[in-house]
Amino acid sequence: MRAKKICFIFLLSLFLFSTISALKGPTYAIINCRIVSPPLPVIEKGVIIIRDGLIQEVGVQGKVNIPEDAEIIEAEGMIAYPGLINAHTNLFLEPIQEQAQQPGAPPRAQTPAERRPPEPDLLVLKQIKPKKTDLDNFHKIGVTTVLIAPQRGIFAGQSVLINLNGEKIEEMVVKNPVALHVQLVTERGGYPNSLMGTMAYLRQSFLDASHYAEHLSTWSKSPRFLMRPLYNAFLEALIPYVVEKKPIIFTCNNQEDIKRVIRLSQEFKLRTIISGANEAWRVADDLKEAKLPLLITLNFRPPTTSIYATRGEALRRQAEQEIYPRNAAELQKLGLTFALTSFGLSDASAFQKNIQQAIKAGLTAEAALKALTIVPAQILGVDSFMGTIEVGKIANIVLCKGEIFDPKGQVEKVWVDGRLFKIEKAPEAKAPAAFSVAGSWRVTIASPMGEMEMTMELEQEGSSVQGQLISNYGRWEIRDGHLSGQELNFSVSIEIMGQTIEAAFHGRVEKDLIEGTVQIPGGSADFRAIRIPRSL
Amino acid sequence: MRRIFVFITLIIISTASLMAGGSLLLKNGTILTVTRGVIPKGDILIIDGLIKQIGENIAPPPGVKVIDLNGKYVIPGIIDSHTHIALAGTNETGDTITAEVNMRDVIDAEDISIFTALSGGVTTIHTLHGSANPIGGQNITLKLKWGKKAEEMIFSQAWPTLKFALGENVTQANRQVSPGEERRYPASRMGVMAIIRRELEKAKNYMAEWDRYQELKKMKILNRPLLPPRRDLRLEALADLLRGKLVARCHSYRADETIEFIKLSHEFGFRIACFEHIPEAYKIAKELAAEKIGISVFMDNWAYKVEAAQGIATMPAFCTQQGVLVSLNSDSNERIRRLFNDAAKAIKYGGLSEDEALKLITLNPAIQLGVDKWVGSIEVGKHGDLAVFNEHPLSSYTRCEMTIIEGEVYFDREAYLREREEAQKAEPKTKAQGGVQ
Repeated sequence: MRAKKICFIFLLSLFLFSTISALKGPTYAIINCRIVSPPLPVIEKGVIIIRDGLIQEVGVQGKVNIPEDAEIIEAEGMIAYPGLINAHTNLFLEPIQEQAQQPGAPPRAQTPAERRPPEPDLLVLKQIKPKKTDLDNFHKIGVTTVLIAPQRGIFAGQSVLINLNGEKIEEMVVKNPVALHVQLVTERGGYPNSLMGTMAYLRQSFLDASHYAEHLSTWSKSPRFLMRPLYNAFLEALIPYVVEKKPIIFTCNNQEDIKRVIRLSQEFKLRTIISGANEAWRVADDLKEAKLPLLITLNFRPPTTSIYATRGEALRRQAEQEIYPRNAAELQKLGLTFALTSFGLSDASAFQKNIQQAIKAGLTAEAALKALTIVPAQILGVDSFMGTIEVGKIANIVLCKGEIFDPKGQVEKVWVDGRLFKIEKAPEAKAPAAFSVAGSWRVTIASPMGEMEMTMELEQEGSSVQGQLISNYGRWEIRDGHLSGQELNFSVSIEIMGQTIEAAFHGRVEKDLIEGTVQIPGGSADFRAIRIPRSL
Repeated sequence: MRRIFVFITLIIISTASLMAGGSLLLKNGTILTVTRGVIPKGDILIIDGLIKQIGENIAPPPGVKVIDLNGKYVIPGIIDSHTHIALAGTNETGDTITAEVNMRDVIDAEDISIFTALSGGVTTIHTLHGSANPIGGQNITLKLKWGKKAEEMIFSQAWPTLKFALGENVTQANRQVSPGEERRYPASRMGVMAIIRRELEKAKNYMAEWDRYQELKKMKILNRPLLPPRRDLRLEALADLLRGKLVARCHSYRADETIEFIKLSHEFGFRIACFEHIPEAYKIAKELAAEKIGISVFMDNWAYKVEAAQGIATMPAFCTQQGVLVSLNSDSNERIRRLFNDAAKAIKYGGLSEDEALKLITLNPAIQLGVDKWVGSIEVGKHGDLAVFNEHPLSSYTRCEMTIIEGEVYFDREAYLREREEAQKAEPKTKAQGGVQ
């Protein structure tokens, strides 16, 4: 009888154990490492014990018992950081696909039929398709956690916070939903189709949500003598954010838009988080007074409506290279707290490059680290179990040779939910010498409206690629150029007939041939570039 | 007694801090006050943004900057009663009736047109929703304080106004519709009037619904759940119009539909501050004068489109002589820098006096915006908003040299040209950017 009981308890505990710790992995002991996790004091020679996805113990070498079953990670001379949190991305989402359009043609009017309805009820979680390469690329720069935000429309939907611990969505989700995402964008075809209309529409929607909630609660208290409210999915989705004051992440960059959001959130007493805000330094006083949490993007491109973008290409380029990278440093100087994100950047390596550039522009490395660990954890409401290396928190840890934001620093190992990912040494270090795209190329873009010919002049420095695209319509600077192995990526802002079209080129290089696709808003096209032999 | 004194001091302090403008002494100007004649060689003292003293040989108070005008001409800052500059967007065309949109939300303090306007002596503008919708949006009056924040530019004492539009622009707002899109109602003048009437009826019902709710709430006798009506920002704006909290500014070209709109205002009891453009105003000058409705018009542009076919050059002068409150507007970021030329044309075409001509771009638009207590003429107590010209402002050879708002210089041609030259020397390749820093 007793044996039976014990057996039962044993089985039960086995069962419970296996369901609770679905993320159970090996136990690790990282020893002899320097532990840097602001605002906690630095531990010079420390030990971190990781068990069942959590940090079991942290402390000074010698004062921490190392479990017998632990796999020892000798980390002499290395630094352990909390896993970085990138608090606004569109990772693992399909890029917005719209009907193809002739490159360079003015945007075609959108008809009401093509306009998507607002989707505050959209859970972006349902659209995620994890990709291993993106996962690896973020691990390489030490990012273990990302917020994935919906991308389209004014009421875009609700975001999810995930740990980059593999490819099974159920295991990755940390918090869902995190926030409602509202974007100050101008849509076409139908109402509203202007910024002024968007502002009025937001106000009316917030009022309607409050009224719907009031109607629901009045009716639920006394359903007799009152008609029930007509079911409305749109308003139902807004109630938790507008009435119950869960966080709303407003996306905007332009300084005036930031002020518009501040006013709106004061008017409706919303729990607002501002994301983007690469012009935040221009309205720092207003932000300081408003005390709204900030998710500052490291996308340094001036918003298209900013004076830095509308008064000539020279100013725009200077702004992108010199002025906008100073945003975070200026905010730090003025005593504002903020998280840093990669929102609007093409990939992880661009993010890393821009973190380094922000530091070069005056942001302290410590502030950058906080802005990617504890601060986003606080803003997203997960700091009780993430964001620092502390006992009981999730074991998201980055082990680095050298300092993490130092261009010479190298992420060696990453633990996400206690799972170890070893970072393969980037072949880039040797690759560039073997491969060069420098030179002149004849580019043919097979657009739906026929072939377009242009010339491309490229220069290469290590893995970074610069240059120009030259066509009958003008010369355009190549941005974010990057050669990784045979993969060439770069962006170009094509300015044509007063319009600016963002084009992202992805190609594969074979000695004298590049083939790939070019993404533009509203579609994509194939391109092909052939090296023009250097005439002597 | 003492408490009253403290109270008064407090009031003075609070108004002074509201007007935290600059202090300046302008000496030896030819002052065209517009309302009090011409002072051939006079001084204007501005203290904390307000005109403190006008006269001769005013001694500069300590610390106040002195500018010697050497006989140059000073007029009140020019006021443009109808423009669309300094806005991020002009129309919300997603619907026919959009009274809920507010230009206050979309002020663009960095619009280069502000600088252009300053270079033409303009200090105050009324910037409006476009004319694509029968009922557009709520407009805003701004002081052109170039370099200041958007919210610092708002002329808060001005009347809040609501844009209406009749005629061609509205009926053809979406003549070219995208495939699959239906052409928008209304497509005729009768439709425009009908939809405005329909919306105003809705607003009346909306007001009644709220009144009924307030009454029921007061009664508190019913043991039944009481739910407030849904707040509708579109109808609330129209209700504000009917309550007199907003005044109408109506884009109108033809005499017949203008009369129709006046009748509509009687029917619903709202106030029209001004008709916009209205080239046929001379046909109904008596009616406009009797109704005390102003007109804000183009000096030129007669016959530039079908509904302007019967415009005439002497219309602004004729209407002025008939007792209509006339102002000249730009409706453009180009014409805005030469409104003084337009005023001069009213002397040539129709024979206005110099003061009458100047009033078309100063005092009259100020009255139309409800701000004549503060701006529109050079008088003690008004804002120190001034424009300085090298020659008589109504001469063809004149040029605006300096523009001052509330005692602060926002445009100084000489200083600007010097800066531009230096910038070109420093960086010969880049074109100088107008007014950036």
